Amino acid sequence: MIEVTGSLKSRLALWLLVTVSGLGALLLLEAYFGARNAAQRAFDSQLEAAGLTIAEGIQWQGGQPVVKIPAAALSILATHHQERVFYAVLDARGETITADLDFSVPAAWQDAAAQRPVWRDARFLGADWRLHGRELESAGWQTQDPVQIWVGHTLSGRRALAHELFERSVSRFLAMVLLAGVLMLLAMRAALTPMRRLRHLLRQRTAEDMRPLDARVPEELRELAETLDTLFARQRDSHDALLRFTADASHQLKTPLAGLQHTSELALEERSPEAWHEALTMIHRRAADTSRLASQLLSLARLRHLTGHHETQCVELATLVRDTLLESAASLAARDHDLGLAPLPEAPTTIRGEPWALRELLGNLIDNALRYTPAGTTITVRVKRDAESVELVVEDDGPGVPTAWLGRLHQPFERGGRQDTEGSGLGLAIVHSIALRHAAELSLEAGDQGGLRVRLRFPFAATGTTS
Amino acid sequence: MKTWMAALLLTIAPVLAGAAQAQPLRIEAALDREVVQPLLDAFARQNPDIEVHFHDRSTREVDRRVAAGPPPDVVISSAMPWQLARVNQGYARRLDTPETRNWPQWAKWRDAVFGFTFEPIVMAYRLDLARHMLPPTTHADLHDLLDTHPALLRGRVTTYSPSVSGIGYTLFQQDARYSSRFWDLVAAMGAADVALEDETRAMLEGLTQGRYWLGYNLLGSYAMVWAQDHPEVMVQVPKDYALVLMRMAFVHRDAPHPRAAIRFMEFLLSRAGQRVLAGQTPLFSIRPDVVGPYTAQRLRDQVGDHLYPIPLDASLLAFIDPKRRAAFMDRWRREINILEDGD
Repeated sequence: MIEVTGSLKSRLALWLLVTVSGLGALLLLEAYFGARNAAQRAFDSQLEAAGLTIAEGIQWQGGQPVVKIPAAALSILATHHQERVFYAVLDARGETITADLDFSVPAAWQDAAAQRPVWRDARFLGADWRLHGRELESAGWQTQDPVQIWVGHTLSGRRALAHELFERSVSRFLAMVLLAGVLMLLAMRAALTPMRRLRHLLRQRTAEDMRPLDARVPEELRELAETLDTLFARQRDSHDALLRFTADASHQLKTPLAGLQHTSELALEERSPEAWHEALTMIHRRAADTSRLASQLLSLARLRHLTGHHETQCVELATLVRDTLLESAASLAARDHDLGLAPLPEAPTTIRGEPWALRELLGNLIDNALRYTPAGTTITVRVKRDAESVELVVEDDGPGVPTAWLGRLHQPFERGGRQDTEGSGLGLAIVHSIALRHAAELSLEAGDQGGLRVRLRFPFAATGTTS
Repeated sequence: MKTWMAALLLTIAPVLAGAAQAQPLRIEAALDREVVQPLLDAFARQNPDIEVHFHDRSTREVDRRVAAGPPPDVVISSAMPWQLARVNQGYARRLDTPETRNWPQWAKWRDAVFGFTFEPIVMAYRLDLARHMLPPTTHADLHDLLDTHPALLRGRVTTYSPSVSGIGYTLFQQDARYSSRFWDLVAAMGAADVALEDETRAMLEGLTQGRYWLGYNLLGSYAMVWAQDHPEVMVQVPKDYALVLMRMAFVHRDAPHPRAAIRFMEFLLSRAGQRVLAGQTPLFSIRPDVVGPYTAQRLRDQVGDHLYPIPLDASLLAFIDPKRRAAFMDRWRREINILEDGD
């Protein structure tokens, strides 16, 4: 089932939004303080210029400071924002020589200004002010006392400039975000183009088309494309196998049916009841064989193509083997063979599986051994246990199978080079399919007495666990 | 200004039924009442609910009353540096009305104080002078006359007293800013035993009476009106440069009737108010869209573009710095006596 969990675009957009708003908040904060500092610096330097201009107007005459406040200094102080202006010239004792407003500069600030030029924020006469103080080393013929010059103005210009600068940063930032958003959208469209191309390619495919993909994809999509290719390859294989199987099955069913037709045709030309009886007996036997072949084909097809979920349960393999063997030993075919069961292990031999399939598996193994070995052959069935697995072994001391054939025996219609038996060639194929369903390991090898040994290792299932 | 009017309190309340609820409006002004009366009448007609109390005082008294005693609503004065200093001290209320916003930038400061007149500073002479010599048209002419006719002009030259008159002091400071030869003129005037008066009216009266032949740095607004009624007095706008003085008005920060005060300011700066200034007073309207005999525009057309308004900005504050004022007055006293011995 396909569950849609949001779109990539909205997810990317969300990430962009989160990143941008996070970074944006920091940037705007920085811009705010930056703008304030820039405005402060710009206007502080005007204060300094005004202070220096006033310094030009100070001279000593006869031991008295003569201050001629230059009009230009006040124009500089007022700036084009028409600030209220403050100036004061103080003598070495901190007494006011001249000032335009009634504000006395704190002694601590005067001390600081004595060291180096200072800037201070103040509030007086109902307004916020920025003040600048500097000490002037003035010298006259009689006096060499320093004087301090303090200048200041109100803050409307600074505020206006800071506001303007901040506003400019904000609008630049917003434009950048907008541009980034548009570019992001375009980039997303461009980045998702290979995806769209792949989708288009897949949508155009017919159901039968299982060729590998022929598409240009970016690195990120390579895995997906390769997985799709693998999927196609597997589908193709299973499709081919099905076709092969169907063809083989038809061929296998055609031979006995042709034999039936031939026998009945011959019998129809006879006139004696003995001949008819003989022919009918043969027809009956062949029909039984054919029916068995058909049922084996059916179960193989079912095993192979019955995919998906299947019910498993805990099965005690030793018990199942014993019961199945008792049934087989009673059958007609077993009379000529020595069918034996090796001592079963004491420990539990629990595996997970489907009892019907396991019985089918064991039945096929024993049936095979009976069919492909001469009378008198000993067939031994064993169940072994080790730490992680349970092993089922069926071994005979018959003629065995040439090593070259061993690898192919589990394929359908493979009889190990033997055309002399009545076997269908499907037994081991069925065993193989069932082994796959149980995650068991199937191995065919030559036995100790020269016959064939079939081993199946099932994973051990600790009792008490359920699926 | 007219000292005998200083204590005069005149109510310009129209006798109307609604006068019972009239709001008072106290204006402290250094502006002759009879000059400004048409404006007050026009305001009263438009605002019958406001009862104007107009006090005409000297510039110094007006300035003193800004900070001392009960605060007035509107303060008007031609002593520009002192007005600006009061604004700098925070005594003015910032105004934001259509008229104040549109007022020319060069004629206002901090949107708090507004220059609303455009009064040229002129020289005036008696016709007697013209009979003996070519009347002066520039500052240099004036200096030459004083130099060449010392005997004739001795005791017959008058100008403002910088120590008593704020206007006079401001004008001389501005003169000194423009040319260092101003001090030669001061020395020449000193040599001619210049008579220092407190106000323009006194100089004009002296000219009419024949005590003075030549007056320097008179308020053109008063002199021009005077000359119309007194043909023996001639008015000359200097042709090299003519200072222009602006009366400045602001609404006091602690005005007891701010709404009435703002309405008065709006009227003062409005087209209607300025039209009254231009047509019925010699105060010269600043507004370019007002037509009348007394407008800044017409004055410019008549005397050319050598009109130099005293800049209405923070640099005015330098003039009233006590140290700078003391230095200026020292120099004045020195220069005015410098030729005493030589003559």
